[in-house]
Amino acid sequence: MRLLARLHRIDRRWLYVATLVLMLVPFILPLTLPAGHVARTTRAAFELIDSCPPDKVVIIDSSWDAGSQAENRAQLEAVVAHLCRRRIKFVVTSLGVTALGPDFARDIIRPLAERAGYEYGRDWVQLGFVQGVAGALGPLIDRFCRDLWGLYPRDVHNTPVEELPLMQAVRRGADAHAFCCFTYAPAYEWISFANAQYGLRLVFGCMTIMCPAYYPYIDSGQLAGMLVGNVGAAEYEALNGVAGRGTRLGVPAAFGNCAIIIAAVLGNIGLWAERRGRRAAA
Amino acid sequence: MTDPPVIWLAAFVTVVVFSYALKDNYVYRLVQHATLGATVGVTVVVTWKQVLLPRWWAPIWAAWQGTVVDPLTGQPDHRGLLWLLALLPGLLWYFQLSKRWFWLSTLITGLFVGTAAGLAFKNQILLIMPQLAASIKPLNPFVRPDPALTYGPAWPEPGTPAAWAAALNNALFLAALLATLFYFFFSVRTDHRVLQAPRRFGRLAIMVCLGAMFGSTVMTRMAYLLDRLMFLSHDWWEGQVVPLLRFFPGG
Repeated sequence: MRLLARLHRIDRRWLYVATLVLMLVPFILPLTLPAGHVARTTRAAFELIDSCPPDKVVIIDSSWDAGSQAENRAQLEAVVAHLCRRRIKFVVTSLGVTALGPDFARDIIRPLAERAGYEYGRDWVQLGFVQGVAGALGPLIDRFCRDLWGLYPRDVHNTPVEELPLMQAVRRGADAHAFCCFTYAPAYEWISFANAQYGLRLVFGCMTIMCPAYYPYIDSGQLAGMLVGNVGAAEYEALNGVAGRGTRLGVPAAFGNCAIIIAAVLGNIGLWAERRGRRAAA
Repeated sequence: MTDPPVIWLAAFVTVVVFSYALKDNYVYRLVQHATLGATVGVTVVVTWKQVLLPRWWAPIWAAWQGTVVDPLTGQPDHRGLLWLLALLPGLLWYFQLSKRWFWLSTLITGLFVGTAAGLAFKNQILLIMPQLAASIKPLNPFVRPDPALTYGPAWPEPGTPAAWAAALNNALFLAALLATLFYFFFSVRTDHRVLQAPRRFGRLAIMVCLGAMFGSTVMTRMAYLLDRLMFLSHDWWEGQVVPLLRFFPGG
């Protein structure tokens, strides 16, 4: 019993080391895990984007930087890989969250688009960053849906949008087949303004920590789909049939989660043993 | 493609930040302050280059130079100079620094608060109303509900085990919803024995929700760690260290 009670008093640094070592194993040994269950939210997102007709575009809002690249990067990669495979045209924006968004998005999207033979201006366009106030993005989103050309007179290369062939089909954000927002915590105004007012179908790609806040909107149909962290990215890649960053990160994440679960169970056993020992002593 | 010195610097900073998990140290604090300084610097530069320069200063400068031409009259268009007026409300914020002229700053803060309140009101109405409608869920497994009145996935064939499972799921949802609302009902005494059970169930539902949130928090922290491990193993070790080791004899 005394041995078990010691489990409750393990120095936390040993737990860090154990977790780290476990997570490093898949980086050293080429381990893979089978693609299992695909969440309803991911499948809905995939099917919505997959059903894009040839005369429509998908708009991607890539509003993440180093702060949330741990999960948003894999999500963006997965969706752009799908768009390129299906030859779906897309427009990339970065609305109101981080001015570094366009740079991070370009580094991911450009190689994928070039590999797929996409031509800039005809098959895809990057419009860049527009300054907004966190918590009050409503007017910006309203204008995005109503007058995309007015919100973005020029693209990231300073080319007037009216000179870009792809933009002839997208004068309003609401014209898009679907809108995907990849950021730490997508603004609720996308739901209340873009979806409720303009009927734009939304897919959110958020950090795992934020996903419980958005599940109610999936059930009510206000959100069409959602990619939950790296798990969502891995599921999306499984549906697309192309293993990418999400799949690669899935194995060490599973090892790390196992380490946390084992530590929580051992800690609780230790706590129970300690209390029992104290009661016996009393 | 990131430059090699940047990768080495990023690897060094990553390892130093990890060292804090073992013990607070001087190098970690140095890196922390440098990161804060760099973040502020980058924000200032990026805000100027991506926001103020193209959207504020460029129209002013073009109007001043007379390079913008009115398409109707063919004359130089100087209306871009009106952007200078944006300085007036912007400067009002700085009166917060003066005790005597503080009241001037309340003009701009009042404008912002009023706008934000109006937007928040509209936002909440459009967010919550569909939620209320979606809370009314079908409970009868023998009847197919009107698809126009229901949300979420399609209702299964009536009478099948899937329909029973869906009805049970909806019943659980409704019970959790009502019990949670009841848990926060402070207007009447709820210590009666009959009312204790729904209160306990409400508390249980809240705890399950908090547990899910805590689990997702752990997964996010894990993702942050993994991102850095991926960078160290792929970009730094495989991309920088391994090629360097090949230069050594026997490498």
